[in-house]
Amino acid sequence: MSEARDRRPTRGSSRRQLLRWTSGLVAGWALGCPSRPRAPGSLGTEVDLSGIGGSIVGANHRLGHRLRQGGLPEPQRRRDVPVLIVGGGIAGLSAGWKLLGSGFGDFEVLELEDTAGGNSRWGENEVSRFPWGAHYLPLPTAESTAVRELLAEMKMVVDEQADGTPIYDPRHLCHAPHERILLDDGWRDGVSARDLILDTVDASEVAELEAFERQMAVFRNWRDADGRRGFALPTALSSDDPELRELDTLTMRQYFDRAGWRSERLRWYVDYCCRDDYGCNLDTTSAWAGWHYFCSRAEEVEYLTWPEGNGRIVRHLSARLGDRLRTGQLVYRIVPGTTEGSRSEGVEVDVFDARSETVERIRARHLICAVPRFAVPYLIADYNLPGIERFTYSPWVVANLTVRRLPPGAAWDNVIYHSRSLGYVVSTHQNLQIAPGRSVLTYYLPLTDADPAVARQQMLDRGWPEWAERILADLALAHPNIHALVEHLDVMLLGHAMIRPVPGFFWSNVRRRAAEPLGAIRFAHSDMSGLSLFEEAQYQGVRAAEDLMSELGLPFGTSLS
Amino acid sequence: MDGRAKTLALLVSVFTIATCGLIYELLAGTVASYLLGDSVTQFSIIIGIYLSAMGLGSYLSRYFRHDLVVRFIQIEILVGLIGGVSSAVFFFAFAELQAFRLVLFGWVMVTGVLVGLEIPLLIRILQERFPLRDLISKVLSLDYVGALAASLLFPLWLVPRVGLMRTSFVFGALNLLVAIWTCHIFYSEHRSRGLLAQAYVALALLLAGVFFSTELASFSERRLYKEPIIYARSSPYQRIVLTRAEDEVRLYLNGELQFSSLDEYRYHEALVHPGLAAVEAPRRCLVLGGGDGLAVRELLKDERVEEITLVDLDPVMTESFRDHQTLASLNDHALRSPRVTVHNIDAFVWLQDHAESYDFIVVDFPDPTSYSVGKLYTRTFYRRLINHLAPDGLIAIQSTSPLLSRRAFWCIVETVRAVGLIATPYHAPVPTFGEWGFTLASREPFRMPTRLPPGLRFLAPSLLPSLFEFPTDMMPLSVEANQLNNQILVRYYEQGWGQYTRRFGS
Repeated sequence: MSEARDRRPTRGSSRRQLLRWTSGLVAGWALGCPSRPRAPGSLGTEVDLSGIGGSIVGANHRLGHRLRQGGLPEPQRRRDVPVLIVGGGIAGLSAGWKLLGSGFGDFEVLELEDTAGGNSRWGENEVSRFPWGAHYLPLPTAESTAVRELLAEMKMVVDEQADGTPIYDPRHLCHAPHERILLDDGWRDGVSARDLILDTVDASEVAELEAFERQMAVFRNWRDADGRRGFALPTALSSDDPELRELDTLTMRQYFDRAGWRSERLRWYVDYCCRDDYGCNLDTTSAWAGWHYFCSRAEEVEYLTWPEGNGRIVRHLSARLGDRLRTGQLVYRIVPGTTEGSRSEGVEVDVFDARSETVERIRARHLICAVPRFAVPYLIADYNLPGIERFTYSPWVVANLTVRRLPPGAAWDNVIYHSRSLGYVVSTHQNLQIAPGRSVLTYYLPLTDADPAVARQQMLDRGWPEWAERILADLALAHPNIHALVEHLDVMLLGHAMIRPVPGFFWSNVRRRAAEPLGAIRFAHSDMSGLSLFEEAQYQGVRAAEDLMSELGLPFGTSLS
Repeated sequence: MDGRAKTLALLVSVFTIATCGLIYELLAGTVASYLLGDSVTQFSIIIGIYLSAMGLGSYLSRYFRHDLVVRFIQIEILVGLIGGVSSAVFFFAFAELQAFRLVLFGWVMVTGVLVGLEIPLLIRILQERFPLRDLISKVLSLDYVGALAASLLFPLWLVPRVGLMRTSFVFGALNLLVAIWTCHIFYSEHRSRGLLAQAYVALALLLAGVFFSTELASFSERRLYKEPIIYARSSPYQRIVLTRAEDEVRLYLNGELQFSSLDEYRYHEALVHPGLAAVEAPRRCLVLGGGDGLAVRELLKDERVEEITLVDLDPVMTESFRDHQTLASLNDHALRSPRVTVHNIDAFVWLQDHAESYDFIVVDFPDPTSYSVGKLYTRTFYRRLINHLAPDGLIAIQSTSPLLSRRAFWCIVETVRAVGLIATPYHAPVPTFGEWGFTLASREPFRMPTRLPPGLRFLAPSLLPSLFEFPTDMMPLSVEANQLNNQILVRYYEQGWGQYTRRFGS
């Protein structure tokens, strides 16, 4: 919790401070040069890494080196951009998408990394495309209007039911078999609480499951006096009724303790869901956020998924934005104009271009700051948001393993009960052809069980061989011969992967205040929603774009409900 | 070396020759009946050729006048080598050569002649050591006892446990060990290092065979099949196994029976002709799956068919059924017809990458036993298929058994309807499969054909309407359409077949 505070700049942003937050944001930067595989056995462990290539990827090393070498040049160019969007994650891309879709094209999106997408980034090798982050999108509810609009634009919708519900292209709905889990007695289809408890002989466990499901139904159908849902998606549409807000004072474990639900499998399932969606565990997830996961969507929701995961959406958005999207752009200084009045006078932004190694100073009339909040103090001079340290982020390790062939019986999502990882997802699952042979497995490990600052430091301190060994040892729980299947294993270390919905954060004042514009600067990021979800990131981006267009008096049709 | 050791060596040789000789003969007979069927005929012919060749050998022994011991050892080396590689040669010839019978009978003949030479030579070598009375009794009794050992070992242990290929290598090597031993004992008489070298080289060859030969199928795999395996190959996609029992050849893919040569004509006539005959002008036809070429064979019977495109994922399948004599004769060499073009590519991919439309399409995929095959029975697949169907064209789909997996059958029908086509289900009895089902898919209602091409063994125009009537136990059930995201068909199929303990091919 203390990390953001520790790193808060005193005044302005020196290069050193910039480097420090970059080292957290751009995971792996702290490691310096890309790690090389060490000789097998050098760590004295059981896992044999010989014959497996790979490295820690994703860090913008070139940028890091450039910054370490010495002072950034003085701005060589100056130019004006009417609207500047800083950050090319889903929020920034969606802000651009909404502006462009409304006929407003005078903007640019600047992204630090070489590829846009943030938590929806993706990669590709000769076997398949694969995700580096979010790998699926649950079918949007009726209130997720912007998501529906986007999916229709992506031609994911083939038809409509009589009531107007979209019918999605079956090629992109997750194909069977969907999920399986490795329990003590072997693999089993399905990972829901019901699947896990199905065969129990313990009547109290079944009773708890049924009580849990009943409570889920109650919260799912809950409406306040104004007709607002208790748990809506986007969260902004949720009711602020005190009865439900009370949940935000508890952890999910405390809720379970009070309810008297003791079933190990039920608790495991809820813990797994919290780790999967929030990078938090039963002890750190607020009960409000926990119930939001179970109650905001339809009871039996289907997923849209693609080989590159939500990278497919990034590809679509990037293609739409064209050269308005510029990658490898390190924004390191944002100076609001003289804003002490009702009228803003624009923003001055210094940007280091990694390719040309030049600095330019962009004068923007309006800026949408679509970066995670912990990074904002390093960008905006004199930024002051009391309580900003309550924005905490969970670190994640993501690995992509190129395998000679799929482990036997692989489903789309393969979960290991006795592991703190989330298991692995098969990137080639949606292939229509009968494709024996090589594939790419995406492995996810949210570091949920230690203080995030400590976990982050430990994560960055480990090199490729150590992560490769840990990942293979974990997967060997399910597939003892996994190392024989793996040709290549790349690891991405995401220092600040997800905003943590710990108790009290969602309904905190600091989260609400974080959304307030600062002169000509508007903010857009999923952390402002308190939940690191695609729907929230897109909502924040679209909302910022629409607010801006309203202010500018530009005509547009809203994408939000 | 004293005379006793030499005598013992020679007598052990008699026993070995008898055992090995009979083993080679039994091997040839077994391989011939596996590969050609009709075991009585094959064994009779092999025994006849072998015995007469032995007679010929005995006769020829008179022309050996000098260095009898050296000649004897040389012949023993040769017998070991030729007998040892015999099964490997037979299987290779069966798979690769046109003149299999010539190779088989020639090989048996040579082995017989060599074995036939040995006993007379031996008697002549030994005649100085024993009186004739003793000699004949010793040699012939060992000869016959050796034969007994072979005839018991062969069916009880060697064929089931060791396998045909390895048995022949093992006995060849045994033969050579005895030859080498004899060679050492008689070294003072022949002083030929060359002879020893020959023996060792031959032994090394056969031992390599023992260790490196791969049986067509492992012991555990052979146990899966009731009938002997005559052809087996693995492709990246599947295990292809052909078995033979007498005149019946069966094809298994991944252990699932695909057809029996006894009644596959019923299946393939029923799959192809009701739909084909109903198409006004079926000039261009497409076959998806069906790499065995049997559906293509049926299409070729209709002279209106000008071009046939066969799309099968597995090149090993289509090449086997084009080039292998036994296999190609099953489909009347259909895959060599100038009217046929073969593409080895995934059907889904092929449909996406090509734009041609066809008057008649045959969909002959394996049963939906797995999710990967199940994809080929989904709405998405049929929707893609429609793009390739000529306006008044017809699709015939193999649809598993409406009796043994009733839900799966009606699920396929429902899936065809769900993409907006008219589905016309029908069925036919195929004894090795049971009652089998098919679905016709078309834009216009199906009209019962009144004429069929000549030369059919099962279908007749008067019989056709009855195939479209369903008895009570095969009547429609309420089922969902099969989609990529539910693959409900695979589950229906498992439920259906699960009720039947009687599984074919296992």
